[in-house]
Amino acid sequence: MDPVRQDEFDSEACGSIAPKAKPCPRPKPGEAAGGCSFDGAQITLLPIMDAAHLVHGPIACAGNSWESRGTLSSGPSLSQYGFATDLTDSDIIFGGEKKLKESIDYIAGRFAPPAIFVYSTCVTALTGEDMDAVCKTAAERIGIPVIPVNSPGFVGSKNLGNRLAGDALLQYVIGTGEPEPGTPLGVNLIGEYNIAGEMWDIEKLMNSAGISVTSRITGDARYKEITWAHRAKVNMVVCSRALLGLAREMESRYGIPYFEGSFYGAKETTYSLRQMAYLMNDREMERRVDRLTEREEARLSQDLRPYRKLLKGKRAVLYTGGVKSWSVISALKELGVQVVGVGTNKSTEDDVRRIADRVGDDTEYIPEGGASRILKTVKERKADIMIAGGRNMYVAMKEQIPFIDINQERHKAYAGYEGVLRLAKELTYSLANPVWKLAASPAPWDREGPAYER
Amino acid sequence: MSKDELNIKDNTSLFKEERYVQQRENKKQFEAPCSEQETAEALAYSKSAEYMEKNFNRQNVVINPHKACQPLGSVMAALGFEKTLPFVHGSQGCNAYFRSHLSRHFKEPTPSVSTSMTEDAAVFGGMNNLIDGLENSVALYKPEMVAICTTCMAEVIGDDLNSFIGNARIKGVISEEYPVAYCNTPSFVGSHITGYDAMIKGIISYLYTRSGIESKPGSGAESGEKLNVLLGFEPYTGNFAEMRKILGAFDTQYTLLGDHSGNYDSPATGEYEYYYGGTKLEDVPQAANALGTLSLQKYTLKKTQEYISGTWNQQITALSTPLGIKGTDKLLEAVSELTGLPVPASLSEERGRVVDALMDSHPYLHGKRVALVGDPDLLIGLIGFCLETGMEPVHIICSNGDVDYNEVKFKDEAEALLASSPYGSEAAVHVGKDLWHMRSLLLNDSVDLAIGSSHLKFAAKDAEVPLVRIGFPIFDRHHMHRYPIIGYQGTLNLLSLIVNTILQQLDDNNSGFNFELVR
Ligand code: SF4
Repeated sequence: MDPVRQDEFDSEACGSIAPKAKPCPRPKPGEAAGGCSFDGAQITLLPIMDAAHLVHGPIACAGNSWESRGTLSSGPSLSQYGFATDLTDSDIIFGGEKKLKESIDYIAGRFAPPAIFVYSTCVTALTGEDMDAVCKTAAERIGIPVIPVNSPGFVGSKNLGNRLAGDALLQYVIGTGEPEPGTPLGVNLIGEYNIAGEMWDIEKLMNSAGISVTSRITGDARYKEITWAHRAKVNMVVCSRALLGLAREMESRYGIPYFEGSFYGAKETTYSLRQMAYLMNDREMERRVDRLTEREEARLSQDLRPYRKLLKGKRAVLYTGGVKSWSVISALKELGVQVVGVGTNKSTEDDVRRIADRVGDDTEYIPEGGASRILKTVKERKADIMIAGGRNMYVAMKEQIPFIDINQERHKAYAGYEGVLRLAKELTYSLANPVWKLAASPAPWDREGPAYER
Repeated sequence: MSKDELNIKDNTSLFKEERYVQQRENKKQFEAPCSEQETAEALAYSKSAEYMEKNFNRQNVVINPHKACQPLGSVMAALGFEKTLPFVHGSQGCNAYFRSHLSRHFKEPTPSVSTSMTEDAAVFGGMNNLIDGLENSVALYKPEMVAICTTCMAEVIGDDLNSFIGNARIKGVISEEYPVAYCNTPSFVGSHITGYDAMIKGIISYLYTRSGIESKPGSGAESGEKLNVLLGFEPYTGNFAEMRKILGAFDTQYTLLGDHSGNYDSPATGEYEYYYGGTKLEDVPQAANALGTLSLQKYTLKKTQEYISGTWNQQITALSTPLGIKGTDKLLEAVSELTGLPVPASLSEERGRVVDALMDSHPYLHGKRVALVGDPDLLIGLIGFCLETGMEPVHIICSNGDVDYNEVKFKDEAEALLASSPYGSEAAVHVGKDLWHMRSLLLNDSVDLAIGSSHLKFAAKDAEVPLVRIGFPIFDRHHMHRYPIIGYQGTLNLLSLIVNTILQQLDDNNSGFNFELVR
């Protein structure tokens, strides 16, 4: 299969309302841009923790990236291994298929994974290797699924890569297995990657309301549980941008209803849990959810009190993508923090609409990346804090701006009710740290006035 | 709010709760189709000599690589020059990786852009991307020079940088004079160190050629008094400072060719700039007239050295990373020889102090078995340091060690160095191997200490060997790169890092009888 072209996706409807803007905008040459489709595909699939993930290409793609993402596992760690075919110039000339074949055999023989995902990269896509065929014959030979992921970097952005990975799941994984008899069937969580263990907080909540998770797609997932994802009763799409297409396809193939939701902020969390129960069509469950969310919200608002006092009226610039761009706004609003600037370059039309629903008129939209653009907003809008991803963190430090990491490198879990508390705590710590005062005040000998007064 | 009033459990403590332990047990049924016993057997097998042999016969797959690709090194090299924007010709992902990778190591922003090639560039070539990219980036980031390197994608489709840059000038996107240096750095050849070399050579040869200056090395008078110094792919900003200190003590004039320490160690002033420090562009062509060149990473800087000794016709002294007393001695001798200046008394005194420190610690170091992973020049330095302190290098892995300088291969030099001391008698040097090989080595023939980058932490943990983080990348510790590891001061830093790790281990493993206050 040729890598799917971006415009094939562009013409495809996304969600219930077809997005008007191109879903995956092309990066502009000469600007600092984010990750590639290969990166995006890995984001989606690496959290399948017991599978092996083999990168077929030169050392660049794997050597620069293995094990640098905070997606946590409660058990197996095979997914943490950096497997690569490490193509060299002679492989480029004579073809790397043999190397790929032998790599697959080696991994199967040594690590006995339930499945192997094989990723194409710019180079192997360009040299026109028939990766699909190699994977197919390998799967027959070794008796476990070997799944080609055709998402080389040059087809586009990270988001497109997420979707291509979703495609691979649809084509090769979902529907190929059946749950053990007696497995309670419930909800698939789609597009939740268990960064900093967020998935576990969510699962804990769902369990308290008696809702079971059928398949995690893919935070802390096991390969097998995704094979029976088609037996779930409801799909919840947590990251709308990336895997909405997957949910839509599952609806049409298997009749599983889906909804988009988030777990950032108490309101969003409550909404998501209610929606699950509602779509499960189970009155008793709905009542349980109501009781649970009421109790949790009440407790949260109690616990939040001291933080609210400190955070009220604080101004933040939020620079992140996809679902977080609007759902984190909800969480911040609950804490009394005003969002005065928000990044929209990775947001869909839907996301932007949701942002607009949540912020006031004097919020600035930041459509394009680049550190200077974000900094300008922070300054002009007199923001107190910047909430963004790791690549912008050190820029914020240079400018002495309090900062919170919200993207995949973060080490704090912000989902669910407890997540709101953690967020409140992190915000307060970041804002209140004495280092800002230290940084802002000149050395004693540079201060005005006589020495004894300084 | 100054103290934590909440009791929110993180997942380390949360998962110790009974119900999660239970849950984890339940999950096992679909993790792998084998019993606990089988798992234990497989794990034991993976530690066996039999498996090690298989592992070492592995040809076609790399598991847990310990090298990055060429363009990553080029980006670092470009940041060593004043107001220079690294520009990566390829698809966007590579550049995003380089920026995160370098930023995670240095904890500083990395300004670097890419041509963001997409599938039409793959079909029709990347010229338009390059021209648009040049126009956009020069307008946005206002660099004084752009330094372009390729990635594998651009190389596979065969883009011709030189003619593309020429076309950008013809189109008026950049002026005729605007400096644009470039180099070719496919990721399927070499590693980050060869890419570093390619860009340094690309920049200095470009600036030299366009200046019209003719090299008259060592000709004295106005421009010929300086010494050129190259540090190479240098993950320690502290090493730049240490080198300046040493050269300052000699009271010699010098030019550091490629100094990215400014970019990766800038002060918090409240204002972010894209470019900090770096070698002045006008100093580069002048460097052709220097007294001579001192290179501190001879395997890394192979092509650059060839260029300097060839085209500039300059005397060159090429060392490996000067670690330890002997390594630093060699460095000082080289400076002394190239400049004709005596070694300053202050450095002799410092040497004495550090030798004293080594003596203080030697009982804890003697006979300690060590595993080493790193780039070739770093490894030569580390091996030397281990041997002079009585530590015994046992396993040495150099993934990108397939390089030679003046026809001496890294492996041969390392082995000769090891053979020169009884403490090196047990060592084996493996080039082209990865960290999964190292895991086998650590599990089969255990050591007291592992030295390497953060990536080594997985193997070290499996083998329950403490890890001292030295090299690149170090993601999971803060500020290591700010402390020099070269020179006598660097030797002292290395020593305290290592000896204190050993002492900590002594304490940790001691329940009672030998738990002492004084060590
Ligand atoms: S852009 Fe291509 S070569 Fe670069 S990291 Fe992504 S897949 Fe690999």
